[in-house]
Amino acid sequence: MNEEVLEKLKKAVREYNVEEGANWATKVVEKRIDPIKALDVLTKAMREIGDGYDRGEFFLPDLIGAAEVAKSILPPIEEELKRRGREKKSKGTIVAGTVFGDIHSIGITMVAALAKADGFDVIELGVNIKSEQFVETIMKYKADILAMSALLTTTAPEQKKVIEVLKRENLRDRVKIAVGGGAITEDFAKDIGANGYAPTAPLGIRLFNRFIGVQ
Amino acid sequence: MKGFIRNFKPLEILTDEQIEVIHRAALDVLEETGIRFEHERGLDALEKNGCQVDRDNMRVRIPADLVEECLRKCPSSFHVKARDPKNDLRLGGNTLYFEASCGMRTVDLDSWEVRSATKSETVDGLKVLDVLDNVHLLSPYCPYYGFEGVPEVMKVPEMVAAKMRHTTKVQMTGSVKDSEIFNIKMAKAVGCDILGLVNASPPLTFYKDAVEAIFRYAEAGSPFHVSSGAGMGSTGPTTVVGSTITNNAEIIAGLVLAQLIKPGTRVWAGNFVTATDMKTGAPAFGAIANSLHQVIFNQIWRKYGVPTWTGAPAFSNSKKVDFQCGYEKGITAILAAVSGVSVIIMHGGIYGELAFHPVQAIVDDDIAGMVGRFIEGVEVTDETLATELIEQVGPIPGYYLNKAHTRKWWRNENFVPNVADRLTYPEWIEKGKKSALEYAKERMEQILAKHEPKSLSKDQDKEINEILKEARMYYKQKGLI
Repeated sequence: MNEEVLEKLKKAVREYNVEEGANWATKVVEKRIDPIKALDVLTKAMREIGDGYDRGEFFLPDLIGAAEVAKSILPPIEEELKRRGREKKSKGTIVAGTVFGDIHSIGITMVAALAKADGFDVIELGVNIKSEQFVETIMKYKADILAMSALLTTTAPEQKKVIEVLKRENLRDRVKIAVGGGAITEDFAKDIGANGYAPTAPLGIRLFNRFIGVQ
Repeated sequence: MKGFIRNFKPLEILTDEQIEVIHRAALDVLEETGIRFEHERGLDALEKNGCQVDRDNMRVRIPADLVEECLRKCPSSFHVKARDPKNDLRLGGNTLYFEASCGMRTVDLDSWEVRSATKSETVDGLKVLDVLDNVHLLSPYCPYYGFEGVPEVMKVPEMVAAKMRHTTKVQMTGSVKDSEIFNIKMAKAVGCDILGLVNASPPLTFYKDAVEAIFRYAEAGSPFHVSSGAGMGSTGPTTVVGSTITNNAEIIAGLVLAQLIKPGTRVWAGNFVTATDMKTGAPAFGAIANSLHQVIFNQIWRKYGVPTWTGAPAFSNSKKVDFQCGYEKGITAILAAVSGVSVIIMHGGIYGELAFHPVQAIVDDDIAGMVGRFIEGVEVTDETLATELIEQVGPIPGYYLNKAHTRKWWRNENFVPNVADRLTYPEWIEKGKKSALEYAKERMEQILAKHEPKSLSKDQDKEINEILKEARMYYKQKGLI
């Protein structure tokens, strides 16, 4: 019976069915199934889609669709974990946003959703975020990782600005910095002193995991 | 500038009924869903003219009769004044013009890596574009987005000034941080029109600076285009006709405001809807879905009687001047042309707006020439039918190469490319096995060695400098320099 519920949860992710995801997550709680098992099923299903994306079998609409199901599954499961006094340790806190002057959001939203599904806490700041706001949020939430997106060649320099502000405030060593977006390259990331660059959302999640020492 | 005159019925892939359904759906979006205009004065103007305005979320609902009335006020063709009258344009009707594209950077033709252009490369790029036969106008920040040593916020005004100085062809210009204030002044100083460009932000939104630009261009009497370019499947529906509806609604909203500000404003509709590459999320330049969208766009806007512009052929997804670049630009350009677009932006762009190179512009000029020749079609007259000649020549050993008719007509029927490899095989071996790319490089050197564009008068040049100085002061006061 329990296996059946977990199978249905997996199927909801595979079929991008947000309603079914929420339903079966609630059933996990009702049937008193170990919520950790549900989280494992979710993580595995998300990884399969991420791997499929890398192989060229799945595409962005599939990634986003799965991420939205994950978003609907997580709240009841996390609530149950809290109730059982077994709050799942977050892998780390990520502050994510698109830099000042840039209003592109699809990429960073996907990164945030996939990171949440992968077990990170994510503070999503949105778009057009000034360096001061990134820094304040990092301090407030004691973030482990800063993820910045820039889609325009004219706004990419903002990423360097944020890093410089962090250095000035003696906070640079407190966060690992990941940069991405259409205007960003590996070389640019190195030049501005970021810790890493990822060209796609799934590779971004891998980068975050490397930052925290998880393979 | 004559441009190319389309001499046959344009390609239409939808029935009149299907077009009507799409048109009605766009009207419904405007009347029921509405457009967000982040601009108080814009909202006031729309509300005053019968639109329902929700100030809390800046949403405007535009009634169908106002849409129809404003579309009627858009001129179906209009004159655009260049610095040299021989380069004046008549936009609209059956005329096709080609517009030079632009790029953030230039590109190294060996490593294919991009870098900032120098001022001298900018001038060289403009010299080449000034000469190319099938470049009728220049795009915003063409050829490059500023050159080395220019502060970010001055890039648009400096490029407008560079184009004023180094070419007499009409230029279009973008609006970045109020740059249109200075663009309009420079055009007045030189005594020519400047084509403005206003972009909606899909889905269904106009940001403050775009609406401000509509006011500035309309009040100054400058012609401009309202364009929009959703990513199908990201900022517009993934279906071509779905994105036709949203794109139309976005553009129509801008044109309505323009006509309310000043009836009869010279406007045209610009389309750069692009499929989304579902692997990267980036625009899928060169995709065939872009052409499906463009062809339908042209059919609808021809029904509205408004001239059209297409961004699709400007950009191939290739980072090089190569086979992919050729077929993507070629296919996209010919489809846009045969379906009746008024302006095709194409020359010189490499991978989106990442880069420009004059060598690319030179090979693109041959594509433009081919496409232009095609849409001019053929004449069917006694002379072209040549029935008397056919009778006279008869079967073998008769032949046509030595006939007066051939001498008279062969140039008319053919477009002879400037840089394509047209040699026979033995000649090709003997002359060094060159490709079109190599011939284009040679042509660039020849143009740069010989051509001097008509310069501005001393007074005009002085005034341009004054306006640039004014722009620098303006941006300094805003803390942007």
